[in-house]
Amino acid sequence: MAERVLFYNQINKNKRNSIFLVIIVLAILVLIGYVIGMALGPDYFTIVMILAIIISLIYVWVGYYYSDKIALASVKAKLADRTQYHSLYNAVESMSLASGLPMPKVYIMQDQQINAFATGRDPKNAVICVTTGAVEKLDKSELEGVIAHEMGHVANFDIRFMTLVTVLVGMIAIISEIFLRSLWFTNIGGNRDSKDGRMQIIFILIGVALAILAPIVTKLVQLAISRKREYTADATAVKFTRRPTGLINALKKIKNDQPMKSHRVSKSVAPLFLSDPFKRKVQNAFSTHPPIEKRIAVLEKM
Amino acid sequence: MVIWVWLIPVIIIALIVIVFIAYYNKFVIKGNRIDNSLAQIDVQLKRRADLIPNLIETVKGYAKHEKGIMSDVTNARKALLSAKNLPAKLKANNQLESALKSIFAIAENYPQLRANENFKQLQEELSATEDKIAYSRQYYNDTILDFNNSIKVFPGKIFASIFSVKERKFIEITAEEKKSIKVSF
Repeated sequence: MAERVLFYNQINKNKRNSIFLVIIVLAILVLIGYVIGMALGPDYFTIVMILAIIISLIYVWVGYYYSDKIALASVKAKLADRTQYHSLYNAVESMSLASGLPMPKVYIMQDQQINAFATGRDPKNAVICVTTGAVEKLDKSELEGVIAHEMGHVANFDIRFMTLVTVLVGMIAIISEIFLRSLWFTNIGGNRDSKDGRMQIIFILIGVALAILAPIVTKLVQLAISRKREYTADATAVKFTRRPTGLINALKKIKNDQPMKSHRVSKSVAPLFLSDPFKRKVQNAFSTHPPIEKRIAVLEKM
Repeated sequence: MVIWVWLIPVIIIALIVIVFIAYYNKFVIKGNRIDNSLAQIDVQLKRRADLIPNLIETVKGYAKHEKGIMSDVTNARKALLSAKNLPAKLKANNQLESALKSIFAIAENYPQLRANENFKQLQEELSATEDKIAYSRQYYNDTILDFNNSIKVFPGKIFASIFSVKERKFIEITAEEKKSIKVSF
């Protein structure tokens, strides 16, 4: 029963983390609004703050309800046709039965690399997306192993947190970048002598620092979390299929696979995938996934 | 001071009631989960039975002479549909499974049948439903394990005896299932 407790802990942790994340993102956005407001000067402060609060609330709301659709759209995934991908549907249905979770929506994305990801805000609104490469290159038990891993993410509520992180953090990076670029067009320190002018420069510097640091910090947090989740999802997958061989063989095939055509996948969606789509060899603080060899070794001990 | 003296027993009673409700609901939810997973097994068995007439039709077109094996399949299907409880259904399903194995073995002698798209599709569908039956049985046992654990572990054990909640039985793997099914040609 120890493992059961472990999974429940994981679920609660994920729900808690999701709430924390939303609060932190709200706080960061309002803070950015504050800094921008100060940088633009007192004339604009109130209006910028009001806008910042409204925008950040909309942002988080959209992130919560539409993050799965945004993630799917960003990789150009389409709803899989039941007759064309019947073996995929059979695998997903089998794993839905084995896990006792509702049947997720099945999406397919055009790429020769074997890969998959799960998204959605809860098990009732879950989506599993698989590459065409995975459907073509994996046999039945390997495909089941991969789907079981993704169902593991669904069962453990990883999908909500992971997708929220991906979309909310991804958008922060974009907004910070826009802020950085807009600085080129503002009249920096036009009146250097006055006190207001100096204040403006200070706030612009803070703004720049924040714009650079915020995405890096959140990215680091996101990546560290993602790697631990992969092992848990692997363990959950074995609980569903009752044998690790399918997933082990799938991972072995993935190891010798080609990297994903990177123009199709924006870097921010990478942590969602079963294995690193870009197949980066070097492991460091920025790695999105644990090394495949290590995952295989852990699975082989089960 | 007077308020405090009254408040403490009220809080304690309220807490006890809440714990009772929580345990009662826990048993109900977990029991429902078992019934629900049992229904899932039925759905899969039913779907399997629904595929059989199609298969028989297709096979008839190419292998008219194999009447014996085809009536085996039809009888097993009838037994499956008329079975009342889960053990009987699973037993009928095993008969059906071995009859189907014979059909697919016979198909090896009929290249045209093997090449038939419809036949290939049915073969895949039937083996997929067999997998699904196995997975839903597995989940059924999981839900029973979860239920039984919650009524055997302290303090659930005390509440289980108060609400007289009984332990549920797992689906046993029958002796016939354990030995691999022999295919007769």
